[in-house]
Amino acid sequence: MTAASESLPHLEKGHAGPHEAHEDIRQYLMFDPKPRGEMNAMVMESMLTTSWKFWVVFGILAFLVATCFIYAWGYMIAEGLWVAGVMRPSYWGIFLVNTVFWIGISHAGTFISAILRVFKAEFRRPFTRAAELMTTFGLIQAGASIFMHLGRVWLAYWLFPIPNVRQLWPNFHSPLMWDLLAITTYILGSTMYLFLPLIPDLAMARDRSTGWRKTFYKILALGFRGTEGEWTHLHTAMNFFAFAIIPVMFSVHTIVSWDFAMAMRPGWSSTVFGPYFVLGALHSGMGAVAVVLFIMRVTMKHMDYFLRAEHFDALGKLMLIVSFAYSYFFFNDYIVQWYGGDRWTDTLLHWLEEGPMAWMFYQLIFLNIALPWLTLWNKKIRQTPWLLALIGLLINLGMYWERYLIVPVMLTINRMPFTWKLYEPRIEIFLTIGTFSLFLLFYLAASRLIPLIPVWEVQEGQMAHSLRKVGKTHLPSVSEVDLTMQ
Amino acid sequence: MSENISRRDFLKLATVGAATTAVLTGCGPASRYIKREPYMEMPEYTYNGLSTYYATTCRECAAGCGLIVRTMQGRAIKVEGNSNNPVNLGKTCARGQATLHGLYNPDRVQGPLKRTRGTPFDLRTNVSVTWDEAVQVVADAINNNNPSEVAFLLGMAPDHLFDLVSDLANAIGAPAPIRYGALSMFEARATLIKASENLFGTAALPFFDIANSDLVLSFGANFLETWLSPVAYTRGFAKMRRGNPKRRGHFIQFESRISQTAAKADEWIPIRPGTESLVAAAIGRLVAEAKGGAVSEVFANVDLNEVLSSADIKLETLEHVAEMVGEAESAIVIPGGSALGLSNGLQTAETILTLNALADNFGKPGGVYLSPFLPNQDTYHRPASAQEMAEFIEKMKSGDVKVLFVHGVNPLFELPESLGFADALGSVQEVISFAVFPDETALASDYIFPDHHGLESWGYQRVATGTEQSVLSGAQPVVSPNYDTRATADVLLAASQALPFKDEMEFLQSKFASLVGQADDSFSAPEINTFTAYFQQHGGWWKKSSELVSPSATDTLGRNFAVEQAEFAGEGEFFFLPFVSPTLGEAGANKPWLQELPDPTTTVMWNTWVEMNPETAHELHIENDDVVKIISEAGEVEAPVYLYPAIRPDTIAMPFGQGHTAYGRYAAGRGANPAKLLGQHFNEAGDLAFAGMRVRIEKIEGKKQMLSRLESRIGVYNEGLEEH
Amino acid sequence: MGIDLNLVGAKGAIAEEAEGKWGMVIDQDLCTGCQACVAACAMENNLSFVGEEDAGYGRTQHWIRIERFWEGAYPEVKATAFQPMLCQQCGHAPCEPVCPVFATPHSPAQEINLQVYNRCVGTRYCANNCPYQVRSFNWRDYHLEPFHANNVDGQLVYPLHNQFNPDVTVRRRGVMEKCTFCIQRIHQAEDKAKSEGREVHDGEFTTACAQACPANAITFGRMDDHESLVSQLAHQDRGIKHLEELNTLPRITYLKEG
Repeated sequence: MTAASESLPHLEKGHAGPHEAHEDIRQYLMFDPKPRGEMNAMVMESMLTTSWKFWVVFGILAFLVATCFIYAWGYMIAEGLWVAGVMRPSYWGIFLVNTVFWIGISHAGTFISAILRVFKAEFRRPFTRAAELMTTFGLIQAGASIFMHLGRVWLAYWLFPIPNVRQLWPNFHSPLMWDLLAITTYILGSTMYLFLPLIPDLAMARDRSTGWRKTFYKILALGFRGTEGEWTHLHTAMNFFAFAIIPVMFSVHTIVSWDFAMAMRPGWSSTVFGPYFVLGALHSGMGAVAVVLFIMRVTMKHMDYFLRAEHFDALGKLMLIVSFAYSYFFFNDYIVQWYGGDRWTDTLLHWLEEGPMAWMFYQLIFLNIALPWLTLWNKKIRQTPWLLALIGLLINLGMYWERYLIVPVMLTINRMPFTWKLYEPRIEIFLTIGTFSLFLLFYLAASRLIPLIPVWEVQEGQMAHSLRKVGKTHLPSVSEVDLTMQ
Repeated sequence: MSENISRRDFLKLATVGAATTAVLTGCGPASRYIKREPYMEMPEYTYNGLSTYYATTCRECAAGCGLIVRTMQGRAIKVEGNSNNPVNLGKTCARGQATLHGLYNPDRVQGPLKRTRGTPFDLRTNVSVTWDEAVQVVADAINNNNPSEVAFLLGMAPDHLFDLVSDLANAIGAPAPIRYGALSMFEARATLIKASENLFGTAALPFFDIANSDLVLSFGANFLETWLSPVAYTRGFAKMRRGNPKRRGHFIQFESRISQTAAKADEWIPIRPGTESLVAAAIGRLVAEAKGGAVSEVFANVDLNEVLSSADIKLETLEHVAEMVGEAESAIVIPGGSALGLSNGLQTAETILTLNALADNFGKPGGVYLSPFLPNQDTYHRPASAQEMAEFIEKMKSGDVKVLFVHGVNPLFELPESLGFADALGSVQEVISFAVFPDETALASDYIFPDHHGLESWGYQRVATGTEQSVLSGAQPVVSPNYDTRATADVLLAASQALPFKDEMEFLQSKFASLVGQADDSFSAPEINTFTAYFQQHGGWWKKSSELVSPSATDTLGRNFAVEQAEFAGEGEFFFLPFVSPTLGEAGANKPWLQELPDPTTTVMWNTWVEMNPETAHELHIENDDVVKIISEAGEVEAPVYLYPAIRPDTIAMPFGQGHTAYGRYAAGRGANPAKLLGQHFNEAGDLAFAGMRVRIEKIEGKKQMLSRLESRIGVYNEGLEEH
Repeated sequence: MGIDLNLVGAKGAIAEEAEGKWGMVIDQDLCTGCQACVAACAMENNLSFVGEEDAGYGRTQHWIRIERFWEGAYPEVKATAFQPMLCQQCGHAPCEPVCPVFATPHSPAQEINLQVYNRCVGTRYCANNCPYQVRSFNWRDYHLEPFHANNVDGQLVYPLHNQFNPDVTVRRRGVMEKCTFCIQRIHQAEDKAKSEGREVHDGEFTTACAQACPANAITFGRMDDHESLVSQLAHQDRGIKHLEELNTLPRITYLKEG
């Protein structure tokens, strides 16, 4: 902050007046501009500065991916699902927990990026990229988890509607089929949506690098030169995708919830599952964004310029609102199920409240509802990055428990009490570590390869923001920059 | 409906079978088998894709159920019941179904072996001998020893081998063969027969016609599980329940735990073990008093109050049962193994039969009959009682047995250890086993000359009970022998020239001779070769109509004898009730699918458990799956506990069937054998008082063994769902 | 689809249509829980045994299982009637629509619920959605475990495989399986009837479980034939269908005790 404000002498006068003394307007990124070249250099430097600590973490993660993801999965394919803990009646185990969890994580990326873009929330500018990456990387983990879960993964292509010698379409009645199509659409859409705003930054990087990086960026930047026409096209495309991806995002998690809600099982068959899952996804996704921003801020160079208390504050507010909405759906679902008094649902709720996994149920309520409510109203907490990241992490734990309760624990109770058995994860624990490691590894790699801060968006925002002199005081003002969004 | 298809099917099969057997009967032993061929080279009488069916007899227990085995390209695919065989009328039990897992068991003895006693069985290190050498060994054993020092120990099946060995022993002057099986011990067969002899003057197995009865009282008779002829009695039970549209038979079981049979009872009355005779007598007294007239002395002598306290039963219950007996059209009372395997077992059997006399059901539908003998059968050759086995073991110990031939029985596993068979084997110079599987006794032998599996064998089995008519169930090979095995009958005939038969088939035909031309038989054949062909085709020979014998009971009610409580051996707070595992039986442990079948009452698979009342366990701080040590005067075993809600708090129970140290990969090292706990105590009929032991238990701290259950402990026992 | 008239109490032709073609009646008053049906099913349909550990962990491959519960506490405790539970061959099967690869379609000819092993990719959704929990999954190639083999001259030989029924596919790991109403026997009877130019009669064949049952508690046959034994048994007052409230239209009728 200090370094940044020193480099902005032209603003100093602006709010040195006695009225604004309590609030330094330069704490806002938009009012703390830097020259283009300098900012570009900062981003390039953040990408190119690699300490030995990075490589240690990278090595550990790579090892974990090699053992817990690649080897463990290969072993499971070779041996059969026997090495996992799935059984009757919990035919779905942690794999599906992970799928839902990662799709949830992936939600925040698009939400923050697309919704905030559509609503022109200015604080989004520095961290859309990081959030969008989460979408893509999270979806990769979700897809991998689904495939891990398949009994015969080598035949997974049978799920896709491609012409085949068996002359057999997939079953479009199956929620899993919808799921697959939704996730495929989402992964394609969100990758495009990630890529479009990336182009100007890649072009920027291309112009500032040499060697293989130059080639790399040259290919990816698609020859972007920054002409007016290119910008117009880019804005149109981004605008289009921002609007298009929002319904896709809602539909994806709704459809994921249908995997459960469409099934004829106590606890699962609930009409509120669609919005409930969407909110749950946002809840965990927001938390995850907070964690990722904190890590970026702490570990990468110059990030404290881009990622500021204002951003954590805004995120914290969002998290609190999502937590309100989430708890609305949680209790709605729970109370309606309880009030219904169905014999099996009753047993199931008993099982959740008093069974061996009850601790998970109460932790869920505490972490997802009580914790954000008790803390996030406080501005100081919201503006303390490590605290917000910690809360985000805990919310994610709570959301993981929620999915764990919905999949294997709820699967324990069905309409045939003779079969009830509690699931014990086995190799799934390693595979879960593997997916988390792979996610982080992707992030680490991305942090070295692409600008994690959308520089052009920040610059665009800073250009639009100015302090206008009105009488004796300076008022912040914003002008519309996005021509295509009129 | 099912009879409909079965008959049709059977006719179809019979045609194929007839053609085959006609070809087969004329030739020597080797050509009698159906060769197992690669699919490319089929024997001419098989067609690609079409099955061939053979009628034979099940050898998983001694009941003699008829089987139709579906074979394809010389492989046995599926076992079905022979719908014409009067024992099972087309039905099979689980053990019968799984007999193919014995036939194709990976742990069969694959050829004649010379062994060092007690070494582990290993396909690679066994010392093979040729069959010529094997026959020479048997010949030397028979011829070079004093015949009185040669002993034959046989199983409960097959009967033809028993007949052959009996004839052989007779011819060479050796003692008659001894038959034994753990099932007969747990059924207390000797006691039942002795009681029948005492009351009716005939040493025959009673036949309990539960099918036509409307009230069945059973004292521990597990007739739906393993008792005598379970398939036949299950059919009887079904008829009793639903056979008559006008009434539904009522069934009351007196037993200290809910066995599979007791689970089907309308009322389960958990009386204290050892008081069965008292309760039976008390019921008799109440019934007789209600009827008016003289109360026979046996019943009059019991003191009702004493019965109530010693049997732990309420007066209302007794009166209720007595009232039902009085009102029933045809009440029947059945004495089961656990009621007879007690120090007072014979009294109990006689009391219960007398109670039947009071119900006036002898020789009447829904009552007690005697099972008929076959025309070529002089007497019922009952298996040895445990006391007789003990005497035989003493003889072995004294060195009077130089050569012991063992076939079809595994005494090291099936006999209580306290009888000392293992030690006694040490005093026998030469032990020759004809075992199909490497069981404990085979491993303790000097030679194993493996017999064919039952489905690869010729033979017959007399049906001792379970049918109304006399039945000789016939066995024939349904596949060619998988391994280098040889029929024990052929080995004995080749080794000893004492009998005038060239091979097993000649011997069988000699036994059939007296059946040719009998009246009212299931098929009529003019001469022996045709008879043999039909015998194989039909899967045996039987009379068409009922031949049940009415017991000649004169003045049964006038007999008087003391009715007392049983005495228990040993110290300890618990009565010990071993029972035969309904799914494994005595010899099912090596069949993997039988191991995988859940026990009907506990749903435990692949292991042994100790049933204990949850209240008792709670007091002793024992939980499910805690391993406990059960200590009796005779020995101790360890097994995990199953908190069983349907057992008396003063009783613990354990299934018999596991606890093998050998017997193949699926059986060895699995579970525990409750026979180790049984002491040498016999009842008056010589049966082991196996239910008359007291034991104490010790919890082994920190040791748990998870029992594999099919049931859910959450769903069935509310674990994790209790209100807090 | 329209309203299911059977559910709202309609009688006659419409109600009977809901009964399907092949049906089964299980008399719980007769079932002695002896497991003969379980063993017979295993032998007929090449079921794998899974060993102690997996069996205890809910991975048994039984296509039919016998349930029993307890009522009351000692000494008034009573075992509930043994309840064989197998695929109910539902008319509206919850397992069918959820399979993404059509591995468990409804057979229009037999009106039963098929399982096509070749198509199955192992999502196990059908098993989750089966309210009767009667589907079993091949968690591994149980029948190829070296434990079951003998080493003959360096080669693994599986003697138990001789017993396999050639009419029934041996399932490999990763596929779902369930009771098929012994469809190989249905097909055989149909082929025979077709070659003789007639319909399959009731009682011409039966399933392995019904054939073995020593108590004759299981009856299998043509539900659409009013005269058939199975149809007459099913319409007794004692008859109930499991989880009827779910509108699965199960083809198996249970006759209660008493």
